[in-house]
Amino acid sequence: MNLGVLLVDDEPLIRSGLRAIIDAEPDLTVLGEAEDGAAVTPMVRRLRPDVVLMDVRMPVVDGIEATRRLLANVDFPPRVLVLTTFENDDYVFDALRAGASGFLLKRARPDDVVRAIRLLAAGDSLLFPAAIRELAARHAPAQAPAGLDSAGLTDREAEILRLIAQGLSNAEIAAQLIVSHETVKTHVAHVLTKLDARDRTQAVIRAYHTGFITPQDG
Amino acid sequence: MPGPRELLAIPASRTTWRRYAYLVIGAALVAPYPTLAGFVAPALEGGFGAVAAWVVAIAVCCVALPIATGMLTAVRELEIAAARLLLGVEVGDAEMIHSEVSLSTRWRSAAWFVAHLVVGGVIGTLTVVLPPAVVSAFTAPFATGDVQLGQLDPTVPGGPGSAWIVPLALLSPVALVYLAAGASALLARLAPRLLGPSPAERLAAVQRHAMRLAERNRLARELHDSVGHALSIVTVQAGAAGRVLDSDPTFARRALTDIETSARNGLRDLDHVLGLLRDDAAARTPTPTLADLQRLLASTRSAGIHVAAELTGRVDDVPQAISSEAYRIVQESLTNAARHAGHVPVSLSLNVGAEHLEIELTNPLDASRPHRPGGGRGLNGIQERVMSLRGQVSAAPDAGQWRIAVRLPLHPKP
Repeated sequence: MNLGVLLVDDEPLIRSGLRAIIDAEPDLTVLGEAEDGAAVTPMVRRLRPDVVLMDVRMPVVDGIEATRRLLANVDFPPRVLVLTTFENDDYVFDALRAGASGFLLKRARPDDVVRAIRLLAAGDSLLFPAAIRELAARHAPAQAPAGLDSAGLTDREAEILRLIAQGLSNAEIAAQLIVSHETVKTHVAHVLTKLDARDRTQAVIRAYHTGFITPQDG
Repeated sequence: MPGPRELLAIPASRTTWRRYAYLVIGAALVAPYPTLAGFVAPALEGGFGAVAAWVVAIAVCCVALPIATGMLTAVRELEIAAARLLLGVEVGDAEMIHSEVSLSTRWRSAAWFVAHLVVGGVIGTLTVVLPPAVVSAFTAPFATGDVQLGQLDPTVPGGPGSAWIVPLALLSPVALVYLAAGASALLARLAPRLLGPSPAERLAAVQRHAMRLAERNRLARELHDSVGHALSIVTVQAGAAGRVLDSDPTFARRALTDIETSARNGLRDLDHVLGLLRDDAAARTPTPTLADLQRLLASTRSAGIHVAAELTGRVDDVPQAISSEAYRIVQESLTNAARHAGHVPVSLSLNVGAEHLEIELTNPLDASRPHRPGGGRGLNGIQERVMSLRGQVSAAPDAGQWRIAVRLPLHPKP
């Protein structure tokens, strides 16, 4: 399967570097480049990429707003992988809250860049669970956990949500709970539906945000 | 209150004797004033009569003059240094003390100076008078006639009947030490109130400190952004070049050039900001203002950049806060010009009007270096400064020139 990628960054040298790294992979293709968030939605409509690599800070429309617009206006939107220079960037968490599926440091090794793109497209496990936990810890909500009670997760589903937050893939969850892979897939699908989350990252962000999982649990 | 153990330790304590020295200095400082009164009074006697002459001489020489002395900044600094060294009290940090001295602060230092003189004078006099009195007291039991106690007036009859005076004489120096320790402890407690900064000075110092911290934070953020940006480019380009070295050597070669440029820009930013931080540490006060502009231009020129400057209006009329910000704006504009355009001639015009200060800096655009969208990170600093002063800034190419224009209101409305 060939995965299409859209690059969005205001720095041409970052775009050209990432393009060279991605195009060197047989299964990945850069379909286009944008230098500002404003161009993302029309380009996605036209090029239909599977993954958008999106810089957080851009001069006109930043990565957070671009992600929000993309998810609101495009049917079956691609996954958004947020690019950041700094790990402890507050904007990254905002971008994840806005619907990005993961984030990637610009200093990541080329192998990690392509691995992240493939992982995100497959949607089978959470990207950088520890980093997401740390981000969530710094943005921990003040109020008591209440938000997810109404989501009506079963005990088993809640347990699986915790394992997802730890970064386990479906296969790993199946091994840990001694159930079949198919069962796990069904549970995960239920969790996502009940949380109204489009992927694991969004489910975990919501779980942290509502206090259903506290970063200390991990 | 000190416990018995501490009370016993007083005569052996180093602090006691250091503080004693402080009091003796006070005694030495007292001496000129009555001496002067002694000279002045006879000169006045002809005009005022003896009593009035002495009253006037003492009022002027022993009251007004010490107060006036105590109001001198130099005396204040000396007293603070002595209090710190000998009394062992901290009266506030150095910066607050060296800030401009207000009138109320001068009165407080005068009060301190007078207290130092009075307490020091009393203890000093006792220190001089007591030893001969003690020595003569020892001779009393063996004497045949009346014994005068040193220079003191009361006499003690000679003979064994006066043996009681011996233990008293032995105890009196110890009592003096305790008296001195007590008096200097009181002074030490008083010192922060009289020598320390006033609430207003403390507030001003805290504000200065906060401003400096904010400035440092801004620089740190700038550094974080610009160096982080440069290193990200270096990492991505180097990673990419490694991947495609065999398949696309042209890309790899270009990547090496970009890596070199980005790394160099990052280092230059690092150098620039560290330089500012160092300046900041070396010259905490005063911050440079437009009055220092010529020096800035000279150092820019010595770095090989040709600057044509045209200054109109009186820079001395610009309020201090705006003047120092304007200085930084010019400094950052010059740095930006050097960074982005290299060694091109720069022209600076600065005009102080009635209502506004206008700064304009132009340099020819380097056609070989395309303007980078979203670049110009050094510009952020200038924009932040201009915003905080409620001014306007524009920076854009204009007829083959890069032109940055700043307009600051001289009397911004809050």
